[in-house]
Amino acid sequence: MKAGKSNSTVLERRNYKWCYLFLLPSLLIFLLFYLSPILTVIATSFTKWDGFNKPVFIGLKNYIDLFHSKTFLISLKNLLAWSVIAATLHVGFGVLMAFVLYAKPKGWKFTRVIFMVPNVISAAAWAMIYKFIFNDDMGILNNLIRRFSPDFHVQWFFQSPYAFWAVTCTWIFYAVIVTLVVLNDLMAVPEEVVEAARVDGASPWQLTRHIMLPLCRNAIGTGVICSITSRIAMYEQIRLTTAGGPGDDTMNIPLILVNSISDMKYGYANANGMVMFVLGLIILAAVNITFRMNDSIY
Amino acid sequence: MKRKLAGIMAAVMAAATVISGCSGGNSKTTAPGAGNSENASGKEIQMTFPTYLAGENVGAVFFLPEVERFNQKYAGKYKIVIEEVPQAQYAEKIKQLAQQNKLPAIVHAPGSGGIDLQWFKSVVLANGMAYDLSEFANANPEVKNNWIDDSMDYCTVDGKLICKPLSVLKPVGLYYNNTMYKPEKAVKDMKLDEFMESIGDNKFAFQTAENAWTSGLLLTALIANQEGGETYLAQYVDDKLYDYTDAKIVSAISILQKLLQSNASANTIGAAYADAANAFMSKSAAIICNGSWMASDFDEESADKWSNGFTGEEVTSDIYPGNFAIANPRVFGEFWIANTASDEEKELAKAFFAFRDSKEEIEQLVLTEGGVAPKLDYSDEFLKKQAENRILSQLAESMDENTRYTASIFDVMPASVADTEFGKLLPKLADGTLTPEEFCSQLTQKAEEAKN
Repeated sequence: MKAGKSNSTVLERRNYKWCYLFLLPSLLIFLLFYLSPILTVIATSFTKWDGFNKPVFIGLKNYIDLFHSKTFLISLKNLLAWSVIAATLHVGFGVLMAFVLYAKPKGWKFTRVIFMVPNVISAAAWAMIYKFIFNDDMGILNNLIRRFSPDFHVQWFFQSPYAFWAVTCTWIFYAVIVTLVVLNDLMAVPEEVVEAARVDGASPWQLTRHIMLPLCRNAIGTGVICSITSRIAMYEQIRLTTAGGPGDDTMNIPLILVNSISDMKYGYANANGMVMFVLGLIILAAVNITFRMNDSIY
Repeated sequence: MKRKLAGIMAAVMAAATVISGCSGGNSKTTAPGAGNSENASGKEIQMTFPTYLAGENVGAVFFLPEVERFNQKYAGKYKIVIEEVPQAQYAEKIKQLAQQNKLPAIVHAPGSGGIDLQWFKSVVLANGMAYDLSEFANANPEVKNNWIDDSMDYCTVDGKLICKPLSVLKPVGLYYNNTMYKPEKAVKDMKLDEFMESIGDNKFAFQTAENAWTSGLLLTALIANQEGGETYLAQYVDDKLYDYTDAKIVSAISILQKLLQSNASANTIGAAYADAANAFMSKSAAIICNGSWMASDFDEESADKWSNGFTGEEVTSDIYPGNFAIANPRVFGEFWIANTASDEEKELAKAFFAFRDSKEEIEQLVLTEGGVAPKLDYSDEFLKKQAENRILSQLAESMDENTRYTASIFDVMPASVADTEFGKLLPKLADGTLTPEEFCSQLTQKAEEAKN
C-alpha cells in the first residue's frame, strides 16, 4: 500500500479524497443497514432475549442448544443434501444451458426465451404453482400418472420421502444466474484461443472439455456460490409448501429462525442467523479454494 | 475551485439521494397510535384498526357490519377505519408494532389472531402496555353486567382490568351430515366408545396442514374424554404444556391415529382448512369439528360453496361425546387498548367496546356466529330469531347444565407448536411412520425447543 502510494502521482493523490467522498454513501449505508444489524445479531446470539425486554447474557447456551436440537441437525443434513444438488445438478444445468446458447443452434433464441421467462417469476409464486402441480386431487402430475395407474395417490409435499424432492423441484430448474454468468465468460473467450485449438485438431468435445470449461472456471465457481448460498437462505419455497414437514423432512435453518421469533426466542433466532452467516463464509472460502478463483485464468 | 465545488456538491447529492431513497420518503399515512383525531376542535375522531376479522375471515361476516353500524351511529363523532391483516400475519405485525412503540389503539387479545399468551404476559403485561379499563367498567355498569364473571376475573391483573372481557362464549362442537351419519342418539349423549362405534365408515374432514385446526379440535375432545383429561388441559392453559407423553395424551393420539387411518377423507394428507371444509361440503366427509361461526356456510347464501349434492339442510350440529364442548372463558377477553394510544383514540376505543357489548350487538353476534351470552337476558325477538336458525339453535340446545367445557389443545401448546409443528407431524401419524408414543415424544421435543 505504502509502495503503491509512493508510486502515485500528485494528481492521483489529490483524487483519493474524491474517491473516499464518493465511497461515503455506500460506506454509510453499509454501516447503518448491514454492519450494525450484523453486530447486533452477533451480540444478541449470546443472550436470552424476547425481542422486547433487555437481553440477558447466557454465554454459549443458544449455540449448545442449537447443536443439541434434532431439528437443527436435520436442517443441516438437508442443507448438505440441497447444497450437493445445487452445486451439481442445478449449476450443471445452468452451465449446460450456457453452452447451448453459446453454440447458437437452430431455435436458440426461442430456447433462450423459454428458459429465461420462468426465471423472472418469484420463488414464492413458483412455490404456489408447484403446490398445485403436485396436488393429489387436481394436480397435473398425479392426473397424468393416474392415466397409467388409476389408483395412484401421493401428496408429494406432505408425504415422506417425496416432500424433500418436491421442494427441490421448486428451484432446481431455475438456474438463469448461472447461465448468464457462464455465458458472459464464454463470450469473452478470445477467438484466437479457440482457433488455435481447432488448428491443433481439437474435437468439439475436447474444445469444450479442455478449453472452454477451464476458462469459465471463475463463472462456474460464482454460480456454485450463488446457488449454495441461496439454499442456505431458502425460505419461501419451504414455508409456502411444506412448512418444513412432514415432521422435519424439509426443515431448514431459516425456518427454525422464524419459528424461534414466533416463540419470542430472539437470542436463539440470532444464533441461527450466525450459523447461516458462518456457513455462507465457509462456502465462499471453500469454493474460492476449489475453483482457484483468485488465480488468473489467462 | 468551481470544479472542486461541483465535485463536492455531486458527492453530497449522491449521498443524500441514496440515503433519502432508503428512508421511505414522505408518507401521509398516520401511524397507528399517532392519533389522527381532531376531537379538540369538535371534529370527528378517526382511528385505523388493523384486524384479521376482515376479508375472507369468517369473523368478518359479523365484525365488518358491526363496525359499519358503529360508524353510522357515531357519524361525525367517531370513525373506525379497518385495515385488513391476514390472520397468519396479525401476531407478527402486532409484535413488530409493539417493539416500535406504535401499537394501534385496539389490539386483539392473546389467543386470537395468533397472539400467544407468553408474549402477552412477558411483553405487554410486564411492561404495562395495556390500558386499565376498570374506570370504564365502573362507569358503564350496563356493559360490565354483560361480561362473563370468569373472563372478568381472568382479565383483572394486579387490580387492573387489562382486557375487555368476553360477553359471549362460543363453544366449539361438531357438524355432521345427517344423510351420511345417522346416530341413534345425540352425539353429546354418547360415551366415546359408543361414538367410535357409531361412526362406522363415515369420514372426518381432518386437516394435516396449516395449524390442523379441525384435527386438533377432535383431539381435544378425545383428551377430554380420557380420565382426568379435562382437568389436565385446564391446568396448562396459563403456563403451557411442554410434555405430551402423559398416558392421557398418548391414548387420545392412538385413537386419533386410528381415525386418521380408517375414517379420514381422501384429501386429509396435506389438507388445509379450505380442503377440510370442502370435503365436508362436498359429501367427501360426514363429520367436521368446528365452531359455531361455520354455521353461516350452511345458509342458502353460501350455496356456491356446496357441491356433489350437498345442502345446508343436511347439516346437524352437536357437541362432543361425553357432553363436552370446547370453550375456555379463562382467557384475556377479546380486545385490549394500548397505553400508547392518544386520549382521543382511547375514548373512541371505549365507545366501541360499549357499543359491541350492548344488548343489541351481543344478540346480533350470537345470531350470526352462535354461542351463548350467559349474563344477558335475551329479548323475545332474539329468541324468536334464534329458533329460526336451525343449526345454531341445535348447538345452543345441545348444551345443558351437565355440559362440561374444556380448554382446547391449542390453548395449552406453545405458539410455534400450535401454529405449525402439530400439523406438520400429523401426516407421519396418519401414514404410520410415527407410533402414538413417538408422535408424543416428537411433540414434546418441539415444545421443549419452543421453551424459553
